[in-house]
Amino acid sequence: MTASKTLLIAAALLAVTAVPSVAQDARLARRLDAATYAQVQGELDSARLAGLPTEPLVERALEGASKNAAGPRIVAAVHRLAGDLASARRALGETSTTAELEGGASALRAGADSAALTELRHSRPRRQLTVPLAVLADLVARGVPADTAARFVVSLAPASDEQLVMFQRNVERDIALGAPPIAAAAVRMTGVTGLTSGDAAPGPQASPPRKP
Amino acid sequence: MREERDELIDRIAAELRVVPPLDPALDARIMAEVATLPAHEPGGVGAAVRWLARPLTLRVSPIAGLALAAGVAALLLWTGVFSRRDTVALETPAAAPGILLAHQGRSTVQFVLVSPDAKTVTLVGDFNDWDAAATPLHRAQAGAWSVAVQLVPGRHRYAFIVDGVRWIADPTAPPAPDDDFGSPGSVVTVGA
Repeated sequence: MTASKTLLIAAALLAVTAVPSVAQDARLARRLDAATYAQVQGELDSARLAGLPTEPLVERALEGASKNAAGPRIVAAVHRLAGDLASARRALGETSTTAELEGGASALRAGADSAALTELRHSRPRRQLTVPLAVLADLVARGVPADTAARFVVSLAPASDEQLVMFQRNVERDIALGAPPIAAAAVRMTGVTGLTSGDAAPGPQASPPRKP
Repeated sequence: MREERDELIDRIAAELRVVPPLDPALDARIMAEVATLPAHEPGGVGAAVRWLARPLTLRVSPIAGLALAAGVAALLLWTGVFSRRDTVALETPAAAPGILLAHQGRSTVQFVLVSPDAKTVTLVGDFNDWDAAATPLHRAQAGAWSVAVQLVPGRHRYAFIVDGVRWIADPTAPPAPDDDFGSPGSVVTVGA
């Protein structure tokens, strides 16, 4: 292959990969001041180099902009989320989807530990973890101790996503009615029907994480 | 003396043994009444059904009636007929926005806010770039505002903006702790 062809292919690849970032930049450019925009761009570039998804970071910056937060606060929030996404990826595996990483970051932010995320991945090796991670984050946010919430969600790993969402909503409703969070979760867990240790409900497939 | 008493007893007994005369037409009247009654049919399903369906008169005292009503009410409460935990085919739990439909990997979620004094209500979240102009709610009856949005599976954070300035969390949904910016928000989890 000649040098000119190589350069042409590289330029084409660069153009293709640059288009989404240009689109994201336009959203941020419209809603952030110049200084904040530049710093957020730096965070996005770092995340991109590390192989992290950038859309969650863009959304976090846009959230800050909508809430009229100060520039430094927006940058700090984006930086913190990037760290959470990196931690989630270490726990869940390199092949985790963006939604899984977001869910993992939320769970970590709520107080769950990395070991719980890894255990959850092992309990559901070929199925999406988006919903279990969301349920885990919600349980912890509502006051269920992190280790207990992780144990509950891992135990419910064979359940379908629909059953998990129903479980989370029932727990939420019981807490709203005055039940202690841990008791509500324990009671509702026994109400998830048709579960044994060997059950595996059908669902979207995801490849297991590569071991480092 | 004893002989006079015995004679008296005998005369009384004889009088009691006499059958009073009956109306000669009595027999005829009885038989005429019997003739109007439905003929007795041998047992069977139809007879059983008629027996089961015949009305009965049940007489209870007021206090017994109150006790019976209280017992029925207690039974209904115990079985959850009047429970706040409604179960419907489309689950719309009181603690989260309602998911109406799921199609092609997305679910249509209905968000509702009751705010009778509001002039405008908009929905912002991680699904519309937190854009206050992107998703206005529509006012329905009794001060309820609502909008339906398609969401991909996962955990979504959102809030309502009332009259363009006031951020409020969804009172029916789990709170979303926001350490970053300090504004109230809520969470909805959408299944696959």
